[in-house]
Parts: sequence; structure tokens; C-alpha cells
Amino acid sequence: MRRFDYFEPQTLDEAVALLSRYNGTANVLAGGTDLLVEIKEQIRKPDHVINIKKIPGMNRLTFDPVAGLNFGSLVTAREIETSPDVRRDYSGLAQAASEVGSIQVRNRATIVGNICRASPSADTLPPLIADGAIVTVFSEGDERRVALEDFFVGPGRTVLRPNEIVTAVELPAVTPHSASIYIKHGRRKAMELATVGVAVSLTLEGAVCRRIRIVLGAVAPTPIRAKKAEALAQGHALDEDLIEAAAQTAMDESRPISNIRGSAAYRREMVRVLTARAIRQAQECVQ
Amino acid sequence: MNMSVVGKSVKRVDTLGKVTGLARYAGDLSLPGMLHAKIKRSNIAHASIKQIDVSKARALPGVKAVLTHQDVPRVLHYGSPHPRSASVTKDQYILDNKVRYWGEGVAAVAAISEEIAEEALDLIEVEYEKLPAAFTVEQALCPDAPLIHDTSPGGNLVMDPVIVTRGDIERGFAEADLIIEGEFKGGRPTPAYMEPNVCLCQWDGNGKLTVWISTQAPFMVRGVIAEVLGLPLNNVRVLVDHMGGGFGAKQDLFQNEFLCVLLARESKRPVRMELSRKETFLSGRSRHPVHVWLKQGFKKDGTITARQALLTFNSGAYGSHAPGVTGVSTASLTSLYRCENVHLEGRAVYTNTPIAGAFRGYGCVQSYYPLDIQMDEAAERLGIDPAELKLRNAVRGDDIAPSGHAVTGHGLEDCIRRGMAEVKWSEVRAQAHETSGAIRYGWGMGCEMHGSSAYPGIKEQGNAIVKMNEDGTVTLVTGTTGLGTGAHTALAQIVAEELGVKFEDVGVVHGDTDVTPWDIGAFASHTTFMGGRAAQMAAAEVKKQLLERAAERLEAAPGDLDIADGMISVKGVPGYQISVREAIAPRLGLPAAHLVGTASYHPTKSYSFAAHFVQVKVDTKTGQIEVVKVVPVHEIGRTIHPVAAAGQIEGGIQQGIGHTLTEDYVIDTTDGHSLNPSFVDYKMPLSMDMPPIHTIIIETAPNPGGPFGAKGIAEDPIIAIGPAIANAVYHAIGVRFHHYPITPEQVLDGLRKKNEAAPRPGIAA
Repeated sequence: MRRFDYFEPQTLDEAVALLSRYNGTANVLAGGTDLLVEIKEQIRKPDHVINIKKIPGMNRLTFDPVAGLNFGSLVTAREIETSPDVRRDYSGLAQAASEVGSIQVRNRATIVGNICRASPSADTLPPLIADGAIVTVFSEGDERRVALEDFFVGPGRTVLRPNEIVTAVELPAVTPHSASIYIKHGRRKAMELATVGVAVSLTLEGAVCRRIRIVLGAVAPTPIRAKKAEALAQGHALDEDLIEAAAQTAMDESRPISNIRGSAAYRREMVRVLTARAIRQAQECVQ
Repeated sequence: MNMSVVGKSVKRVDTLGKVTGLARYAGDLSLPGMLHAKIKRSNIAHASIKQIDVSKARALPGVKAVLTHQDVPRVLHYGSPHPRSASVTKDQYILDNKVRYWGEGVAAVAAISEEIAEEALDLIEVEYEKLPAAFTVEQALCPDAPLIHDTSPGGNLVMDPVIVTRGDIERGFAEADLIIEGEFKGGRPTPAYMEPNVCLCQWDGNGKLTVWISTQAPFMVRGVIAEVLGLPLNNVRVLVDHMGGGFGAKQDLFQNEFLCVLLARESKRPVRMELSRKETFLSGRSRHPVHVWLKQGFKKDGTITARQALLTFNSGAYGSHAPGVTGVSTASLTSLYRCENVHLEGRAVYTNTPIAGAFRGYGCVQSYYPLDIQMDEAAERLGIDPAELKLRNAVRGDDIAPSGHAVTGHGLEDCIRRGMAEVKWSEVRAQAHETSGAIRYGWGMGCEMHGSSAYPGIKEQGNAIVKMNEDGTVTLVTGTTGLGTGAHTALAQIVAEELGVKFEDVGVVHGDTDVTPWDIGAFASHTTFMGGRAAQMAAAEVKKQLLERAAERLEAAPGDLDIADGMISVKGVPGYQISVREAIAPRLGLPAAHLVGTASYHPTKSYSFAAHFVQVKVDTKTGQIEVVKVVPVHEIGRTIHPVAAAGQIEGGIQQGIGHTLTEDYVIDTTDGHSLNPSFVDYKMPLSMDMPPIHTIIIETAPNPGGPFGAKGIAEDPIIAIGPAIANAVYHAIGVRFHHYPITPEQVLDGLRKKNEAAPRPGIAA
């Protein structure tokens, strides 16, 4: 592995001071499941690596029926996957977290790492966006909150500035008659990168769709909301025709590329099939 | 035969070492002063090297040696060192002034750390003159194609085409009621062994070379290194202890061995070189991609009247095993399903792509996939159940096998019948399939046969030495290599059985070319068959000597004695016995008897058989195929270690599922670079993807040439699973695939075309 300077800041202030000092030449290390592999394979060549695991308080996970879920940057995918609160109220996220790498990887990989890596195919991003996640961004003496939906700029690129660090994620409390679903499409059942990922977060009032979020992964430079499909469904009774129409619209909103994992045409088709399936599953979960 | 050790799943001899992590693999070794080596690889697929400047790399602190084509012996060698055989091609240099595929080594560096060696690679400047390239077989066979090698027979053919003819196909086709022909394509799966290629080389002060290496064929490595460097064989010592798999590919040399040896000589330090996972793709060996045209004629009763085929293999940039694979594959189509009139032609073609080589199933994966699928198609057109059609035509006793030998017994028929009964074939095939909803289920089956030993392609020889120690324990000295399959355990079982001693009393010494008898290498499903038979013969020799000695003590004729469970007794005289230990032990002040048996065995050929029965589930909306259940039935003559044999079968099925559904090493045909040289996008099925496998092993056609009748098992399991899956997919969704891997996208395309097409025509003839 290529040489780099390694730091273990004890406080957030220290961490962002280092980030400021090495303006753009430093990488933050949390789980390291992506970063270290990329350094070994010379995809990334950071001169400085800042390990934030020694900063206290960032591994907390709290749930409140009114305030919702809140977790720090060092909370692992495995903790999210196995949290009873997450499994009950944010089942799409729990499902997505359970599909990241292997159990060994999930015991180290953090959700915030998955967020900051900003891979278009990252599993946890569509359900987080569908559930309305907001991230807390910290820099020197300052803190801001960014809706996760607005966080991504392109593959591997986010609105984070070089001296900023994500410290926490919050998810609003779910309303009654809600469900969230994540469906990952790949060639095998585990250790897989999504060819297409579809998250649906749904609230029903009787048969009527009161709120729906449809978020697509791996079919655009960033995870994207299928807003036209959402608009089509929102406020209407979700019958089979409407579900198919929404799925078709979501497909039209996707902008996938062709690569070794699948052609653009196939990915679009899968957006349609899986969006319909996810809406139906969400419907069943609510009912 | 009443067996006490053979047929029992004894604890493997290497279990404790492996589970405790104490077992040492070549990559675990380290020597004082050891350097680390790396290879500079081409980023162009076909080019002459105009100039190569290593001055900056040499100047980098920590770099101890740098080699280019100007610094290494220019000796043509076989990429795979089978001795004097027609299996391989002499077309490689250690480093050439040309590159023929993307990723070929052009220089090597040894430095005090891997990091420095890597850094030095970036400092090597290579000026290439790009040459026109051929990335596909079609391009390479064009009359004006660039020649990748200037060797005969020319035209980018690796060797003269293989022609196998029997009977009269014109008459056969004229007699047919139904003629079917089709084209088939096989992808480029790679063995993806767990342990990347690694070696450690050291020269001593007297000019003797020691090489620790992960190879299936240590004596072949010794031979080719000695030949290329002009060394006597006793100055090259090759050591292999444990291995993390090879699957056939590790019969080859991969440039790194030569370079490691030469860097060690140049630097006068031990040098270690381990390929990265990416390098095992770039410079490793894949299965030969293939194109098969196959035509068969059938009578209404299912009798096959004629078979004609043209098989074209993509060898990649070098010949490696192309002659062997082409020969075996072409000849394999004479058999499996009986046919008197055959005309078969096999060709292998150079292209500017990574090298294809030996890989478990050695040509039979490529030939039996089309053959078995076409049998399924014929069955439907003839209105005969596919398993029944295959059963009627199954190769059987006294038929001539691909090797030219007569087949022993009725192994294939037994496998088909047993499998049909086990899965309740006619019931599951007739079951009405759910036609609403997206999910469809189907059952299919496929068959295979595979030879143990590479005869007649190679005249083989298995050797063994068995020694009895003065406490009655036994040491088997064998040159066979253990790839991780438990081969040495099986050999120890055979020796224990033959000698009548406990399994725990047999130790195995292996993996040192200075110590063990010569061995051809672990391949061709022959280690237990041939190495085991040699061990059995050597043990029988020791037994004879032991009984002669015991006969004096027991005052009986040696022929009246018997050994069981470590006790020597006189037949028919209960209780009159001495222990093996007593028989050999020092006595009356004299040292123990020196009991050593040696044996050489020259096998011909035996064939193992299998029928695989598979249930699949197809999602008609996503195109995803899931293998739900596999029932493999294998006939292997005699099972030495049931758990190890079942492990081979299950592992082969896992690889075979991968071949058929997900695994393909893809080369960009515009410039020859690899699109997925990593486990991120080269997708092997993992444990989560594996269906339940209900393995059945039968012993109905033992081969007199194998130990206690045993035949090989290593390669068989990867062959029949492929056509079984393709046939099951057809049963599920009515779409016929003629290629592997079958991707979800292709399933959707197939369904779309099927729905657009008019109803299929009725049965011909």
C-alpha cells in the first residue's frame, strides 16, 4: 500500500482543523471498507488519512417516537441492520444495510461512510432519501443541516467542502400506516453491487396514497427521486393501473448508463419492474 | 470387498494445520534479506517494444534488480511444461520484444519492499509501436489478419486442425428421420483460485536454486526452469506444500516464476513474487471461449445416425493448452451418446486476448454443453422424454471411448436411472407450471463422462515409495501435489487399506522434488487414480516383504498370512498372530528390517460418469435464473473418502453454476483490455447463492486400473451442470439458450422474441 500520513484526532475540532490544513489532500477514515481498498488498488492516492474513530460520541444511535432516528458517523451498517427500531420503522433502510457487502464488512462499514463515498449504486442511499434523511455537516465552529436528497452532486461527489465532516444522520419519525421497502437487483444474493436499487417509502390513508417517495439507485450519476412518478401516485388510490403507470414514469425518469453490470435498456426495464414491486410490497406492509 | 479404511471419511491429514493457520503456503514464507518483485505489464494488446528505459527505476533507492527482454535468456518454451506431449505449444519467451495481449509482462523489478517495487514500475518507460490486432476469432481468421505468431501452421492457427472421423456421416445423415443443427457459444470463465500465484526463489552459494511455489506440477516447473536456464535437474529444487487451489490453470508457467528466479540470481538475494488478484485475471488462464457448430441425425426411435461438428477455440495470445483442449474436446464428441458415424473438426486460434489454458473439465465443458442441449432439442422434436432419449443413447460397456479404449460397465445408464428415480423425473417434468405471475419453475438434466488420466494425449506414469518404520508406522513418499482437495489423505487411506494398518499409522511426505519420486503433476483427475494406484502397488510390495519376515516368526508360509488392523495372523488359525510392529521391530540385537516398496504405474484410461438433475426458477420480469435444487449422480467406481468426493462434486457444481449463469471474464474487443479483472465484477456464486445439493455417488462400474476400482472425480462435476441448467430453463420458460453464461437480460430478450414469434412448428419428420 502506498505511503500516507496518518492522524487520529481526538475531537471533531481537531479533525476539521486537519482537513482544513490539508485542504483536499486528506481522506477521512471511518470503516475504511472502501477507502483502504481504493488506496491499495491505487484508485485513491491520499497524502493524509484522518481516522475519526477516536472521536467520542459519534457511535451513538438513538430513537424517539416523536423525534425519530438519529445516529452518528461511526454507526455501522450492521448496527443499523440489526436495530429493532430501524427494522420496525425504517425497514427499507434495514434491508438496504443488510445488503451491503458481507457481515464482516458491515461490522466495519459505516452508513455515513456509504453516504460520503457517494457511489451511485450505494444501497443505503435510496431508502435514506425516501425516508427523508437529513445529515449534519460540521466544520470549523459551524454546523449546517443538509437534506440527503440535495447532498449528492455526481459519482463520488457531494456538497461537502474540504474542511467539512458529516457527524450525524437524522430520520423523521414515521407516521402511522407507513412502510418503506428497498429492492436491490444484482446477479447474486450477497457481496454484490446493485445493478438497480429501488426504495419506496409509502404512507396510505385507506387505499389512498398520502405520501410516497420513490428513490432510484444505480440509474443516474446520483441516487434520484422519481418525482413525476411520485406526483402521479400521490393523492390517489393505488390500484394496479396506477402502480404500473407510476413504475413506467419512474423508468422514464431514470438515466442509466450501460456497463459490465447491465445495459441502460435493461436497467430502465428493471426500474419499471422493481418500482411496481416495491410499491406493491409497501402497500402490503401497510395493510 | 470388505474395506476398513477406504470408503471411510477419515479426518484429513491436513485438517489441524489448516484450521489452526499453521499450515504453510508458499505465500506465507519469508527469508532473511528477501526482496519483493513486481511485473510491469503492457497497456496495449499488440505491439513491438521500440525502446524500454529502466534507468530511473534502477536509480530508485531500494531497487535491487530490474529485468527487461534484453536481460533474460531468449529461449522459446512451452507455456505449460507437459513433458514431450502434444498438449501444449512452444511459443513463449520469458520476456519478448513484442507484447501480444493487454497485461503481458514487459519488465520486472525486485526491491526491498513491495511499495518500492511498485513505485519503480511507474518509472519504467516503454515505447511501443502499436501493431494491428485481432481481438476475436473472426478477426484472427480473416485472410488479412495480423499474424500474432510466426509459427506454423500460420493463419493464426495454434496447430493443425484436429480431425476425428468414424464411420460415414453422409450415410448416417441419409438414414436420419430428423436432422438438427445448431450453433453454440461458450464464454470465458476463469478458475479464480483462492490463492494467487506466488513463488519465492533462492540461489545458494553453490549455484543451486530452490523455488517455493504454488503449482500443480512441481516436477514440470523444475524441468522447464532447468531447460530454459540450462541447469542440471539436481540443481533445481521445487517445493510445494499446501495450495489454495489450481483447477488446472496452475499447470502453466506465468512469466513470474522465471522472472523471480532471474531477479534472485541478479540480486543475489531471495526474491518473492506474488500476483495481485487483478494480475491473476490479466495474466492467468481462463477456459477457452468456444464456438461450436453441431449437427446430428436421429431415427424416430431416437437412435443417433450421424454427428458432425466444428469446434473453434479462442486460445488467446499464446498456445498454452490449446492443442490438448482442442484434442480432448473434439474427441469427446465421439462419445457420451453413442454414434457410429462422426466427423469432428477442432481448431484453436490465436487472438490478442488473455491466455486460455487448462481448466477443470478440459474441453468437455465446451463440447458436452452443446451436445446435451441438442439432445434435449431432439427429444422434443421426436416426442421422446429427454432423459429417456439420453438413456437410450448412453455410452456403455465395450463402446469405444474418446481415448480409443473400451468403456467398462454401465455407469452412465446407472446414473441416469438413479437420478430419474430420485427426483421422480416423469412426475416433475409433467407437473403443470403456474402460468400466471412472474415466476416459472422447470426441471432439466444433463450428462457427462470424463477420463481419469490424460492418456493417450500424454503417456503418464505414477510413482510411489512406501517405507515401513521400525514401530510399524508407514511413510508414503509421493510426488503428487495436493491442491486442497484432500488427495494425500486419499493416498494414505489406500496405503493403509493395502497394508492392513490403521489410517493414523500412515504419514505422507510430498512436495519436494529433491526427495519424492518424479510426478507428472496433479491434473486430469488422475491423482487418486494413478498416484493412488502407484501407492497401492508400493504398499503391496512392502506387505510382501513384511509377510515374508512375519512368516518366519509365525512358522507359516507367507501366503497363509493376512494383515488386518495392524495384526498379522495365520488364516484359519484364530488368535495365532503378531502385530505389524513386532514383525518389523529390532530383535535379538539386530536393527529393524529395511522395508521399502517402490512402484511405477502406467495407466491407460478410465471414465467416470454423471447425470445432473436440476430445478430452476425463472423470474420472467427480471430475467433472473435461480438454481433451486441439484441432484448430481456420479459413478466413480470406488469412493475412497465420501466427504471429500462429495466436496469435489459440490464445488464443481458451484463453479458450473457460475459458468452457466454469472461468470464471464470480458475483454473489450476494441482494444483488448479487460473489463472485469476483479471479484467486484467477475461474479462467482457464493454460499448464499448455492442451492441444496443432494449428492449421490454410486460404484457400479469400478475400473480395474484404479486403486480398489476407484476412478477420478475432480473434473466431472463441472460438466453436466451447465446443460442441465440450460435444459431446465427451457422447461421453465420455453426459451432455448445456446450459450453460457445466460444473463438475465438475455432471458428477457428471449422471452420477448418468443412472445413475438408465431407458435413453434410441430415435430418434424
